[in-house]
Amino acid sequence: MTLAQIADGQLAPRLGIKLDNISKRYGDHVVLDDVSLHVEPGTVTALIGPSGAGKSTFLRCINLLERPDSGTIQVAQHTIQPGKDVNSRDLAALRRTVGMVFQSFNLFPHMSALKNISFPQQKVLGRSKEEADERSMQLLERVGLKDKAHQHPSRCSGGQQQRIAIARALALNPGIMLFDEPTSALDPEVGLEVLAVMRELAADGMTMIVVTHEMQFARDVSDTLVVMADCRIIEQGDPRAIMSDPQETRTRRFLRAVLER
Amino acid sequence: MTWLAEWAAYLPQMMSGLGVSLLIAGVSIVAGYPLGLLLSLMVSTKNLAIRTLGLAVVEIGRGAPALVILYLFYYGLPKFGIAFESITAACLALIWNAAAYSSEIMRAGIQSVPRGQLEASSALGLAQHHTFFRVVLPQGMRSAIPGLMGVAIQMFQGTSLAYAIAVPELMKSAYNIGSQDFNYLQIFTLAGLCYAVISMPATWITVFFEKRMARHT
Repeated sequence: MTLAQIADGQLAPRLGIKLDNISKRYGDHVVLDDVSLHVEPGTVTALIGPSGAGKSTFLRCINLLERPDSGTIQVAQHTIQPGKDVNSRDLAALRRTVGMVFQSFNLFPHMSALKNISFPQQKVLGRSKEEADERSMQLLERVGLKDKAHQHPSRCSGGQQQRIAIARALALNPGIMLFDEPTSALDPEVGLEVLAVMRELAADGMTMIVVTHEMQFARDVSDTLVVMADCRIIEQGDPRAIMSDPQETRTRRFLRAVLER
Repeated sequence: MTWLAEWAAYLPQMMSGLGVSLLIAGVSIVAGYPLGLLLSLMVSTKNLAIRTLGLAVVEIGRGAPALVILYLFYYGLPKFGIAFESITAACLALIWNAAAYSSEIMRAGIQSVPRGQLEASSALGLAQHHTFFRVVLPQGMRSAIPGLMGVAIQMFQGTSLAYAIAVPELMKSAYNIGSQDFNYLQIFTLAGLCYAVISMPATWITVFFEKRMARHT
């Protein structure tokens, strides 16, 4: 069984997502200026760009961890306008559809790895403990951490914690996975084991949006490369094309800084 | 040697006093801490009326000396037709005291839970009450444990105030014995030892917990 099949349960539909005219400001400070992005089902989108460009904020707007001031989000049959009141049913549907992996893992430190993955399944999907644990064990095995099931996160390395966090998100059958700099807090070597899991997930056809500084991953794995700078998307398209021949000077400057070091 | 012999003779009466002291401390902690949790939630809520009420209860409980509150309960409330037995008044005053102090410790504990925990819970779609009771509260309480144990020791020592309204606790027993033979030095030394025998190991346990928690975070 592949990671995504486990993630799907049986046959969850691949989902795309459409974000239109997303804007966000803190007081006078604009952080997102009319950003639109359409993601096709089963594709991988890599978001790159200098820090402060708004990549993470944009990603966090997708599942409304940040509330945009205006714009629309369309996912599955739901259309959400975050600038207006979002009813709790739409919000719950959005959060159920979209899984998220954080830079700092954010595992629950007082629960074992297994409990971290099973507890949300029980509460959000109403699975029994046995069902949830069975599923958690499948996922732990797939990310290579079956033997860590009963350890607490503090007993696991950063790379292991991040893989547990990925399993925790997958356990809820998301149609889309968001990754917010999943390897930035890790040693380069340890980061590889996390990237390997993500590559496998991508190969299985999971819809993924990844904020990353891993240029090789962005080039090899993503279907669409999106470059953000100054609160906007300045360029998007085929990753190889953009990396070898960027159209914007700002993109060129950024790529030179990250690739030629 | 004579001191030891006399202490042995006093001990039964002292033990019954110590029992009453421990009872009052126990009641004030068992009832005061849940109340403290409630107050910490009231103080953290957005609702202005509830927050103001919570703040008032906490600030009076912390701002006024426990003895003043004790006197108000015992001597003040009968004016409104509410009369308590002395031991009940002592318990109520110390419950208030324990609730007020513990609420601030619990609030700080709950606030110390990293933001990422809330974000992860939201991203997973956990309901607010599950997030609070299963994610935030266990972690917040954990970091509040050493502080709460400190308050528990304070509460035990604070029971000596109940002497002032003639509750037959440890200090009262000591005073009664002392006034028979006028050997106050011996008897109050014994009383001090009785308090220390409970408080000191409790302090050591607190330190042990603090170290253990420092290791795990």
